[in-house]
Amino acid sequence: MQYQSQAVAKPYFIAAIGLFVGQILFGLIMGYQYVVGDFLFPEIPFNVARMVHTNLLIVWLLFGFMGATHYLIPEEAETELFSPKLGLITFWVFLVAGALTIVGYLMVPYATLAAMTGNDLLPTMGREFLEQPLITKVGIVIVVLTFLFNISMTVLKGRKTSISLVLLVGLWGLAIFFLFSFYNPSNLVLDKYFWWWTVHLWVEGVWELILGAMLAFVLIKVTGVDREVIEKWLYVIIAMTLITGIIGTGHHYFWIGTPEYWQWFGSVFSALEPIPFFMMTVFAFNMVNRRRREHPNKAATLWALGTGVMAFLGAGVWGFLHTLAPVNFFTHGTQITAAHGHMAFYGAYVMVNLAMISYAMPMMRGRTANSAAAQTMEMWSFWLMTVSIVFITLFLTAAGILQVWLQRMGTTPMSFMAAQDQIMVFYWLREITGFVFLLGLVLYIWSFFCKKGEAQTAA
Amino acid sequence: MSETFTKAMARNIFYGGAVFFFLLFLGLTFDTMQQLPSRDHRENITDSVVRGKHIWETRNCIGCHTLMGEGAYFAPELGNVYVRRGGPFIKAWIQSQPTGVPGRRQMPNFNLNEQELDDMVAFLKWTSEVNTNKWPPNIEG
Amino acid sequence: MINNPKVTHEIHATPPGDLAIWVFIFAELLAFGVFFVAYAFARANNVELFNESQQHLNRTSGAINTLVLITSSYFMVRAVAAIKQGLSKPCALWIASAIGLGFVFLAIKIAEFQATFAAGISLSTNTFYMFYLSLTLFHFMHVILGMVILAAIMLKALRGGYSAENHIGVETGASYWHMVDLLWIILFPLVYVIR
Repeated sequence: MQYQSQAVAKPYFIAAIGLFVGQILFGLIMGYQYVVGDFLFPEIPFNVARMVHTNLLIVWLLFGFMGATHYLIPEEAETELFSPKLGLITFWVFLVAGALTIVGYLMVPYATLAAMTGNDLLPTMGREFLEQPLITKVGIVIVVLTFLFNISMTVLKGRKTSISLVLLVGLWGLAIFFLFSFYNPSNLVLDKYFWWWTVHLWVEGVWELILGAMLAFVLIKVTGVDREVIEKWLYVIIAMTLITGIIGTGHHYFWIGTPEYWQWFGSVFSALEPIPFFMMTVFAFNMVNRRRREHPNKAATLWALGTGVMAFLGAGVWGFLHTLAPVNFFTHGTQITAAHGHMAFYGAYVMVNLAMISYAMPMMRGRTANSAAAQTMEMWSFWLMTVSIVFITLFLTAAGILQVWLQRMGTTPMSFMAAQDQIMVFYWLREITGFVFLLGLVLYIWSFFCKKGEAQTAA
Repeated sequence: MSETFTKAMARNIFYGGAVFFFLLFLGLTFDTMQQLPSRDHRENITDSVVRGKHIWETRNCIGCHTLMGEGAYFAPELGNVYVRRGGPFIKAWIQSQPTGVPGRRQMPNFNLNEQELDDMVAFLKWTSEVNTNKWPPNIEG
Repeated sequence: MINNPKVTHEIHATPPGDLAIWVFIFAELLAFGVFFVAYAFARANNVELFNESQQHLNRTSGAINTLVLITSSYFMVRAVAAIKQGLSKPCALWIASAIGLGFVFLAIKIAEFQATFAAGISLSTNTFYMFYLSLTLFHFMHVILGMVILAAIMLKALRGGYSAENHIGVETGASYWHMVDLLWIILFPLVYVIR
């Protein structure tokens, strides 16, 4: 660790992993509810479990992004953080707000929570992924703005590299597009139209800039390849991301009341969206092959390469599978979407965070890399989690194809629940695979406490 | 070869491309806003529909159901449920939850009163009349 | 002069201009390409509608605009040739002429759009007009972007920012401008003429 204030990242990373565990546990609950419908009813109805599952995902990814930013910005800017104390305050405020929100979801009926938290003043709740109470949303804005202030000031007083600039653009974009979550017109079509400005322009827009910057940083560190080369790639990749991804929003505008021409715009541009992901894979492998040094942290390299491959498969290939309007007409809102969502989020955002944590955590614990034994354990967790997410995706895809076939095609389509009963076997397989994923996650955490072998301190 | 591939140019393409395509997106959005009134029939959004949407949101219906294909995939599509089932059935269904059948998926009872049930139906009726380019493929949603 | 062996060698080694612009050009061509293919598919399913709607387009203004862009492209060739001999002022002048023709293109196109919109036609009128308006407006914006790029290069050339040895910037802009021209050369027959 070159700068003391980089240590601010540590609590962010620990919280991220803790919330990740929570996300997976609630995922397992939901997976079980898919097969045994009344499991935990009425204590934790499915909608509550799902809200907790998705919100924890978003919050822990944000913790990961913020941790990564606190870690990499001082090193990029070659200066201490503007205010490490502010970094820690932001952390605690965000953690407490997040925890209170989750507790609220679990302890109070949603309608009561809405009434308690001023939803009647400005109704923003009850929309997918944006279920947070108004005060939490306001809290998120305050936290993110404070964080951005701290980071921007740090960059302003130090060296301005392309990586920090791209990261800043991504983070500011994140803050700006979140503001659309406060816009909730009573016209459902308008509501949905601008809801995507937060959701799509986050995950298929500005978050990819954050991802690109984080990946570029880790690659520079573990490969020792010239910064100029890596930053050039970074710009080209994220340029392609936005060129395809912004109009690519159109693939959400096929069937929600928006004009028909979106079927053309959405199909054409989102068909090109795999390109930047493919470039990212080529980029990661290329850089590792051209490495100028053998970094002892093999695990971090593995996560970085995994990000490229899995993001391409999950976001690129599985996205393309159902993005063309004539296909999407049948697959829209089925388990195909769920399959894509799981692999894309894992491949792109989960893995890039774990790559960053894998690289930075040993540094913050005073070593270049963990012991060989700990790294082996971590790599086992990589394979367990990655292979299980692949199988979860495959099972959900199979379920989705069957669902489409039974419920959407033919002259005598089945009802929703009748079709669900037919695909139960895939839900069982998915749930079992989910436990393998959990095993991988437990192993991942265990690797932090592995005492066997000697940690490496030589650069 | 690499001297003819400069970082400055790559950066300019990133910023230029981003601005260019965002402007294009704004242009399309502008056109969409002109077209929407004839597709969403906003003149039919009564107070009852507005209240219905509020109930939809505060009961977190989207946490299990899909609406126009968006939401969770645990329970049936409701964008066209008004056409599929009709108002009286919807009201009776909401009131009779949960079914309590062992092992089956359960929907909570939200203790909605008569007025709230009517609002819910009004919202679902309006939703079913939005021009969604003929989606869903069939009545089952 | 133009056949200076050194220059020829350079042209054969890599595409002219900055390689980064070629990534961009590739992406743009791909986006347009997919749109052109989509147009072909849509037309195959709707031949009559497409043929009927096509009658109402102004082919004369389209043809004039084709000539305008080709000429403008030629001016950029001259600009590159000029800077390769180290002639900054003539280079800037050629670029200015290219930009000027860009304005002519825009003016003619605006007149055409005005007539179209005055007839009450929009993106949602029918599939043909959706494609016609999308493709031409999309291209229209590319012409503007190309002119912005050329203007930046012209200003730099005026300040003597390029030389016989260092003219990658001019080639980069010219490459982009040729792409804009090329797209129109495909677009015009495809949408206005072929039936």
